[in-house]
Formats: sequence, C-alpha cells, structure tokens
Amino acid sequence: MPSTLSRRTLLRGIGTSVALPMMHVMSPTRLLSAAASDEEAPLRMAFLYVPNGMHMADWTPDQDGAGYAITPTFAGIEKHRKSFNVLTGLTLDGARAHGDGGGDHALSVEAFLTGAHPRKTNGTDIQNGVSIDQVTAEQIVKATRFSSLELGLEASAQAGNCDSGYSCAYASNMSWRGPTNPVAKEMDPGAVFDRLFSGQTSKESRRAKTTREKYRKSVLDFVLEDAKRLQKTLPAVDRRKLDEYLYSVRDVESRLLGVERLELTEEGVPDFPRPPGVPQELKEHAELMFDMMTLAMQTDSTRILSFMYANAGSNRSYPEVGVNEGHHASSHHGKSEQKQQNIAKINRFHVDRLSYFLTRLSQVREANGKTLLDNSMVVYGSGISDGDRHNHDDLPIVLAGSGAGRIQTGRHIRYENGTPLCNLYLWMMRQMGAEATHFGDSTGELDRLGSLS
Amino acid sequence: MSRQPGHTSPDYWLTESALKLRLRVFSNRRLGENAFLVTLVCESWRAVMNRIIKWLIASCLALNALAFTACDAVEQTESEAAKELEEIYQDRVIPLLRTYCWDCHGADEEVTLNGDASAVEVRANRDVWVRALAQIRNGSMPPPDGPSLDASSRVEFQKLLKDVATSVDCVNDPNAGKVAMRRLNRNEYRNTVRDLTGVDYAPAEGFPGDDVGYGFDNIGDVLSLPPLLMEKYLKAAIQITGEAIYTPPAPLVYEIQKQGGQLDGASRFARGSIAAIYSRGTVSLTADLPFSGRFKLTLRARGDQAGDQPVRVEVVSGKERQVVDVPSSQPREYSIWLRLARGSRKIEMTFINDYYVAGKADRNLHLMSVRLEGQQDPVVSNIAPDLPASHRRIIFANPSEKLTADQATTAVVSRFASRAFRRPATNSEVERLVKLASQVREDGGSFEAAIQVAMQAILISPHFLFKVEQSTPEDRVDSSPISPYELATRISYFLWSSMPDDELLLMAHQDHLKDERRLLEKIGRMIQDPRSNQFVEHFAGQWLQLRNLDSAEPDKSIFTEYSDEVRDLMRRETMTFFAGVMRANLPVTTLVTADFSYLNETLARYYGIEGVRGEQFRKVSLKGIQRGGLLTHGSVLTVTSNPTRTSPVKRGKWILDNLLNAPPPSAPPDVPDLEKEQLHGTLRERMEQHRQNPACAACHQMMDPLGFALENYDAVGRWRDREGGEPVDASGVLPDGTQFRGARELRDLLAEGRKEDFMRCITEKMLIYAVGRGTEYYDQCAIDEIVEKVGQRDNQFAFLIAEIILSDPFQKKGHRE
Repeated sequence: MPSTLSRRTLLRGIGTSVALPMMHVMSPTRLLSAAASDEEAPLRMAFLYVPNGMHMADWTPDQDGAGYAITPTFAGIEKHRKSFNVLTGLTLDGARAHGDGGGDHALSVEAFLTGAHPRKTNGTDIQNGVSIDQVTAEQIVKATRFSSLELGLEASAQAGNCDSGYSCAYASNMSWRGPTNPVAKEMDPGAVFDRLFSGQTSKESRRAKTTREKYRKSVLDFVLEDAKRLQKTLPAVDRRKLDEYLYSVRDVESRLLGVERLELTEEGVPDFPRPPGVPQELKEHAELMFDMMTLAMQTDSTRILSFMYANAGSNRSYPEVGVNEGHHASSHHGKSEQKQQNIAKINRFHVDRLSYFLTRLSQVREANGKTLLDNSMVVYGSGISDGDRHNHDDLPIVLAGSGAGRIQTGRHIRYENGTPLCNLYLWMMRQMGAEATHFGDSTGELDRLGSLS
Repeated sequence: MSRQPGHTSPDYWLTESALKLRLRVFSNRRLGENAFLVTLVCESWRAVMNRIIKWLIASCLALNALAFTACDAVEQTESEAAKELEEIYQDRVIPLLRTYCWDCHGADEEVTLNGDASAVEVRANRDVWVRALAQIRNGSMPPPDGPSLDASSRVEFQKLLKDVATSVDCVNDPNAGKVAMRRLNRNEYRNTVRDLTGVDYAPAEGFPGDDVGYGFDNIGDVLSLPPLLMEKYLKAAIQITGEAIYTPPAPLVYEIQKQGGQLDGASRFARGSIAAIYSRGTVSLTADLPFSGRFKLTLRARGDQAGDQPVRVEVVSGKERQVVDVPSSQPREYSIWLRLARGSRKIEMTFINDYYVAGKADRNLHLMSVRLEGQQDPVVSNIAPDLPASHRRIIFANPSEKLTADQATTAVVSRFASRAFRRPATNSEVERLVKLASQVREDGGSFEAAIQVAMQAILISPHFLFKVEQSTPEDRVDSSPISPYELATRISYFLWSSMPDDELLLMAHQDHLKDERRLLEKIGRMIQDPRSNQFVEHFAGQWLQLRNLDSAEPDKSIFTEYSDEVRDLMRRETMTFFAGVMRANLPVTTLVTADFSYLNETLARYYGIEGVRGEQFRKVSLKGIQRGGLLTHGSVLTVTSNPTRTSPVKRGKWILDNLLNAPPPSAPPDVPDLEKEQLHGTLRERMEQHRQNPACAACHQMMDPLGFALENYDAVGRWRDREGGEPVDASGVLPDGTQFRGARELRDLLAEGRKEDFMRCITEKMLIYAVGRGTEYYDQCAIDEIVEKVGQRDNQFAFLIAEIILSDPFQKKGHRE
C-alpha cells in the first residue's frame, strides 16, 4: 500500500525552513498517483570545475584498474574510493590556442563543458559553444522545475582584463545556453535556498499572497508582448539581446506554472535551515553550496548542476591550508618545489570538499533503495592539466557516482592520451536520455565505464 | 534640478572633500565657519564652472571656423595619406609578407595573403588582415618551424601592417560604431530604481555579477540576462512596488496538516503514518489559531465498509458537532467548515459506528491525514495609513467624482512609464498598462494594488531594463544621430550611472541637447552634482582596477600593518583624489604628477606622513615627500603586487595596460617547459636572468623596468629603502634607451615624454566606458579628435568629459563591421 505523505512535512531548523508545497499541489490524490509505481529514481549529473590545473604528480595513480594505490591528492576522499573512477588521458582540444595566442585559462573553462573553441574577444560578439549541461537540460527540460542550476564560489571579475584578451564573461561562466548566452552562476547559498523553496515556510501561520504577488504571470505575459513589439524595430545585434530576454521571461514563467513539480517523498525530506548568506570561510561556503546542491537533487528540483570552485585563472589564496600565495601565481611553478607543494595543497583542499559532497549524496536514500550518489554522475576536474605547462591533454578528471548502476566505480581508467573529454560527455548525455550522436569534438562514446577492465 | 535623497553613504565623502578642496582654494578663512561661507564658496565655484563652460564654447566655435577654412587642405591631406599608405604596402609590407607568410599562405591556400594588389584592396579585405595581425602579435605566426622573426622586426611588421589594413578615412568613410543594447548593470539598476521610485533596493547587490568586457562592467555585448536574473528582477519588482506604494497588508492564512498517525491519541491506532481505528475511538488535532473565522477541515480517509451504514466520523470542537460520512473504500478527501475562535483549539474526531461480525463483516476507519486551513477576513481599518513619500509622489491622481479609475491610472502610469523608459511612453503602451490595471481591479484589487501591478510590468519591461536605442529603417546604413532621449540617457548613465533627471529629460523633450551651449552647461552641472561620484567610483574604480583590491589578499603575517581598514582607506584616497582632480578641473595628467593627495590620520601614518590629525580626509600637500600621483597610491601598488612580495612585472604591465594603452602581448601559449637552472639573487637579478630567455625578453624588457621604478614601495604600498638587506635599485632603461630612476622620474616620463600616449589611453578607456562597447579601428578618428581638442585646453578634465560626449561615437550610431 502506498504510504500517505504528509503534505506539510516540516523541516524544523533555525530560521526559515522548508515545507512541502501547498494546496492541491500535494493533495493526497495526486500523491497517490505519483507514488503508486515503484518509479525508478531519476538519474542526475553534476559538473564541478576547479581552475589552474593540478599537481599531476600527486594526482595520477600509478596503477590502473581497481587495485590502484591512492595518490596524495585523493587521501581525503579515500573513504569514497569505491564510489568514483579516476579517468586519465582525456583531452580538451577546444582549449588549445588554435592560433589565438594566450588566454588558456579563459579557454579552458569555456571549453570545459562545451568542447568548443570560443571566439577571442574582450566583449564584442562573444561566442562559445553550448555546454553539455545546457544541451541536456534543453532536452529533458520538462522533468524538473529547474532545467539546470549553475552555482559557484567566486564572483565575476570586477574590473580589468580577465585573461589575455578574453572577456571576463568567458572566465567566470562555464555554462552556456547558446553560443552568445553565458548562464550566470549563483554564489549565495541563501539565495539558492530561496530559489529552490521560495515562499514555502514551515510556519503554520503566514500572510496570504498579496495582489501584486498573484499577478506575476500576467506581468510576465505583458512584458513578453512588449518585447515582441520592440523586437521588430531593432537591428540584429540588439535582437540577440532581446532573444535572451524573451527566453528568460518564458523560462521564469514556466517555472511559475511548474511549482507543482516539487514533490518530496516522505523519507527524502530535506531538513535544512536556510543559510543566512555567504560565509566568510571558504570551506564553509563550499560545504553549504554542496548542501544546497544535495537538497536540489534530493527534492528533484533539478537533475543537472554545474559548479565552479573558482573562476578560470583565479588567483585567490588559500590561507586555510597555509597557502598565502595566489592560486594562479603558484600554478606557474617553474618547477619550484614550494609552488608545486602549494598547488598540491590547494588540490587536496578542493578534493576534500568533493569528499564532503559525496558524503552528503551518499546519506540520502532514494525510493529505489539506492543512495543519491548511486543515482548520480558527478564530473570533477579541470580543463588544464599542469598549470605551468598549460597543457590540455592528460586532464585530471574524476567521475563519481555509479549512474544508477551504469558505471563500474572504484577504478583508475587510463585512456589513450588525446581521447576527447567530449566522449565522456556524449556518453553521459545519452544516459540522461538526451538524443545525440556527437558533442563538441567527440569521436564516439567513452568506453569501459560500465565494465571492469 | 531634483536631488534625490538617500544616496548611499560612500557618496558623501567625495562631496565633502571636494567641498573642502574648494574652501582651501577660495578662502583663507578657517574651515567650517558657517553655512554662509559654504554657500559663498559654492557660488564662486559655480562662477568658475561657468567660466570653464565659456571657454569650452569659445574653443568649439574657433574650431568650427578653422574647419571651414581648412576644408580643402583636409582633402589634400587625405589623398596624400592614401598615397603614403600605398607606398608602405608596396615597398615595405609586401617584402615582409613574401619572406614570412607567402610560403604557406599563397594563392589557393586555405588562407591567402597574396591576393591583394594594393593597400585599398587590403582594406577591403580587412577581416582577413585583422586576424593575420593578431597572429603576428601573438607570436603564433610565423610558426616555430617557419622563418624566424625577431622581436623588433615583429613589432615593426605589426605596426606597418596595422597602418595599412586598419587605416580609416575619417572624412569619407566614418563609422560611429554600434553598441549592443545595454542592460542596466547592478549599480545602474539600483541607482535608477532609487531615482525613479525613491526605494533603495539593496538586494540588487546580490544580482549575479555583471560580466566585464574591455575592463568595464557596462559593456552591452557581455551584459547577459539569464533566467536567474529575470527571476530576481521579478522578485525585485514585487518588493519595490510594495515598498513604494502603500496597500493594506494581506490577510493572515493559517494551515496545519497532520498525518493520521501523528494525531493526539493516535498512538494506539497508528499503523505507519495512518490511524487505523477498528473500534470506537477518538483522535484529535490541536491548533493554535492566530485569528477567529471559518476554517476548512479536510479528512483524508477510507473505510472498510460493512453493514448498512457507511463509516461515520463525528467531529467535535467546543460546541460544534458534525458528522462526516466516509462511504468509499478508496482514500478520498472529505471537507467540512467549522467556525473557530482564536487561540488554542482542540478538534476531536471519533469513529462512531464500529460494526463487527466475526469472520463476516468488519467496519473500520483508516484516517490518513487531517488538514485545517483558513483565511482571515479582510482587515478593515479606519485609521488613515501613513503613506510613504514615494506613494504620494507616484500616485498623484486618485479616482474621484471627476476622475474615473481608468483616468487616474492613465495619469499615474503614463508619468511613471515615461520616467522609467526615459522617453515619453507611447499611447499604446499606456493603454495596455491601464488595461492591465483595470483587470486587477475587476478581480477585486484596489486602485493602489492595480497601480502596483502596472508598475511591476514597467520595472521588468525591456524598455526599462535595457537602454533601448531604436533604429528607424532609414538609418541602418550610415551613422546617424541617436534620438535626444537616447542621448540624454547615454549622458546620464555615463556621468551618474542612473536615469536622466527631469531637467535633462526636459532638455531632450525641447530638443535643447543639440544646443552645444546648453548641453555643456548641463554637463558642467552634472559633474558638480554628487551623483557624479558614481562616475568616479565605477569609471576610476575599474580603469585603475581598484575593485580588485578586495581580492588582493596581502599576506598579513608579513605585512602586519596592512588591514582591511587600511585597504578601504587606500581605495578612498584614490577615489577622492580622482574626484578632486576632476572637480577642480585640473589637467588630466595631474592624476600622475600631482604633489598632493587626500589622506586622513590613519592612512597618513601608514605612509609615514606626519601632521595629519583626525579621521576625515583632507587634501594634503606631498611636496618634499616620496609620493605623489596615482602610481604612488597604496591602492595601485597593492593591487599590482603578489600576496607576499612586489611584482615589478605586474606593475609594469599595469602601467602599459592602463596608462599607456600598450598592453603587452599575452605570454605565448604552451610556454616551453622551463627546464632552467634555479634562478639566484635579488628579485631584480632573477628577473634579469629570466629576461635572457629571448622568448620572454621582448615583452619583459618593456614591463620590468617600468615596474622596477616602483620598487621603493613594498607590496602594500609603504616606502622602503632596502629590500632583502640590499638597497633598492629603482633604475630602469626602456628598450628605446630612455633612462629613469624611481617613481618621480617615471611619472615625469609618463606625463611629459609619454603625455600623448597617456591622454590617448585615458580617452579611449573613458570612451569605452561612456558608450559601453569596445573601441574599433574606426574609432581612432574620434579619439584623435578628442585628444587634440582636449590638448588645446591644457588637458583639463571637464574638457575631456565634454569632448567625449560631443564625439561621434557618443552622439551617433553606426554599424558593426
């Protein structure tokens, strides 16, 4: 017999906390039909980016296969070793200069999810490929309230030239919805919480919606009409801007209608207080963001996420692990022992946060008896291999989660160097149910993920 | 002129300090004697500004006259220039192409570089050549296995090719350029909302970051509008209208739901989350009601049916008693209404008709969940609410016997929309808004609530969020002036980062912006207005990269005197200084050469300067002190350092990028493995060893000497005589042989020998900021003209701003190439 759900499942916490959506949305009748079948838990994917490459000597395992010895970078995540694969030899050709000169950092993050080679410009006519998360989201858009979420820890650059003639739009956005439409990321975990669960408080008593809140849809309809009229009078450059506006209005509108798709299951109820804002400490900031990502996946608010630990070429220092030099400056180590050690420390710091994320995902048990981590595919890595050489082959890539049984985890898989990273993406897209025969510079689907080798 | 209250506090310091500056200039009396004095001084300041404006006009008139008489000469010069370019192409560029390019880029190759017989053809084929230029500049062409091109020949090659390929005929083929429609950035949004509605919307700080292009965050091409931002705009519109216009608070709603198994007294019936009641039994729901009223109680239940009655539940609350039949054996919802009083209330639910025949019949109740919900009756208040000022200002017409609601709405909405759109709202726009509002009223909304909804539509309209510049069919080919309203908008976002004030809109309406005298007077007043602090903060803050100061993170274990407070004071010093130079209309080069700055006691002590007391900033003479000009500001010195030490390379690059407009090419991609022996010695010695690598030398020969001239300032901007035990050597030689030592000689070099470069640089940066797009080769025409005109006026600051506003790229729109 189906378990009856409490529509008002409360999340007691400090401050505001989350309750289930209201009224007919979660009426038991609906839930009855929703909960009736032993539905397969959905498959999720997330992309986690770190800038400036890695200290590869500490990263790449010596042995291949399941019996590899954990390398220093992975010390903090060893407890999850059965849940991820280290992939060696993947390559991002789009990040190479192809005659455009410097700007590897901007290129590497831009190409990281698109496999494309972005146009070199400081602003005029920016152009990149469409990123894997957005392509996939586009295809499975109806499934969840948010087709995708884009998050990060570092604000967009405030001034100056981001990287050798590349606009900062390149360095600070890795998700691209269209060739000219970077998708901005959210950095405030409190704001993420509000987006996910806006207006839903656990308080039994609250104010009814004001008139102006009730007319959101009418207002959006109204400006859609405005924009359509305006579009006719604009030159091509501006029309592109307006297209973006139209897309965004429609997207928000569909989300207003789609509120009812937030469905929490009895045992999957998030119990989490609203984060008050951006914490001072980077560690705490990262962990809160991972909490939010877990919550978003757990409540099936979205199935696709991208997350930037920092912007491309980030030069923030990491005093929390004793690195007072900037990250980017250290990555140009010129074989300096100390700088390489600094990079190694930063790498471990980031991987330790990944470990936290995997822990959170593994704590959530889903309807099919598996954990959220089991039902996910989490890509972690950088578009640069060694920060000093700025090479884009032999990339440091981790693939965590077993993709609901599709991936045999716990291994170090060595591919022939030069194998397109996009082959992995193509494989993932198809697992997500997206139809594609190629992506970026893919030459086929990545092999050996499902079987022991 | 309307001055809006509520400018955020950081704005005021600039005004204060500028005011003090004037007091010093115009009066020997003690500071702050009385308000009268201040007024007086302001008056004399105004007189000075008027004088400036008169000079401006005179210069323009003079130039016009000159232009007439010189017309023929100009044409002649143009054709001579063309001839010269042709010669350069034939005699100098073609031989270089032959040597370095044609082997691979001959006829029939993928990229052909030998197809253009003349300089004119080269220009017609500009796209290809611009890409070739970039490759030469990057060092990616010729390829490593091709003929080698040494650094100085590369520079020469580049320059010649650039002259030929991107020269532009300013007279016959001008292009004012086309800015991509600009979205308001975060600052502009917040300022505009404040000036429009009186509401300071602080959460705008939390909007996703505006991407930066060409060093600035107001570039149309990169200001994207992702759904995340649209969501925030919508939310903002709801909050802003709620704050600007008073409407009674929405009624309270109350709602509680419990699972059957969680109800009071259910423990003995609980089967999982369900209360399964097999014989007469009672469960209850306790609710703490915040108001009295009608509440809807909904039971979700099913019954095991048996006998001649359906399953029955009796609901009792206080004196109320109702019976609910549960006739289905499938889960269904059953609702009843209860009138309940405020306070703690207990609602009992009893299964009253148990029926059981062993082995044959069994009537049972399965209660899945219980929900209680209600809404407060509308609040009726006799007390007139205290309306916010914005409410009275925006809703200046109310429905009355003489005015229908639609008429009042029309009045209110057309004014608001016209200000929001920065041009008169069209009839059809107003009609649609009025219709939207009337729908709200038909649904039962109040007049005010209906206005709020219409305002929301305005606040997320593309006409508000974007600086729309409409094109008409005939102006798609040639450069043509933008409309007066569009011009007013450009001016006001340039100087104030906000919407035009009523005066500027009125000038646009009366078409007075064409009148150069009136326009210049207005620009003068705008520079004086505290709102131009926005220009200082955003233009200077980005041009000089002060915004990056927050992420500089000097190592506080090494630089113990550095603190967040010092950092903020440093930034404030530079901003105040910039504002001071601007408002005193000093030559722009003063930014580099000034022998004064603005300090308070804390910062002065940090710099080791005596005799400054108190927390307020004031102008301080630096005569005889090893400081002066931007290059010696702690802010600039810190932002160009590494966390643990100075970086002459970064400082040199900063100077080349931001003061000389000669950005060094980027480091070559795939820098070869630096399998070099460890470098030894002082930083300077190590850098010199580094430069011996020819791959690095070409650029570092330029960057490093500039940076080393500032070595007397440590990574957080304090003076030092020694570094690492050795005396600081701040001397340098540029590749062209120019020698200099220390900051003072460096800044003299910049302000004298390189004055033209510096002026071109700040002109170009400011033009980018002013029009919101990167400059293209054809903008050289405008930049040349601006630099020349400003030079004729001793490079005074107000002239630079004025000439940018008067230039074609600002006044007109052209096309993209």
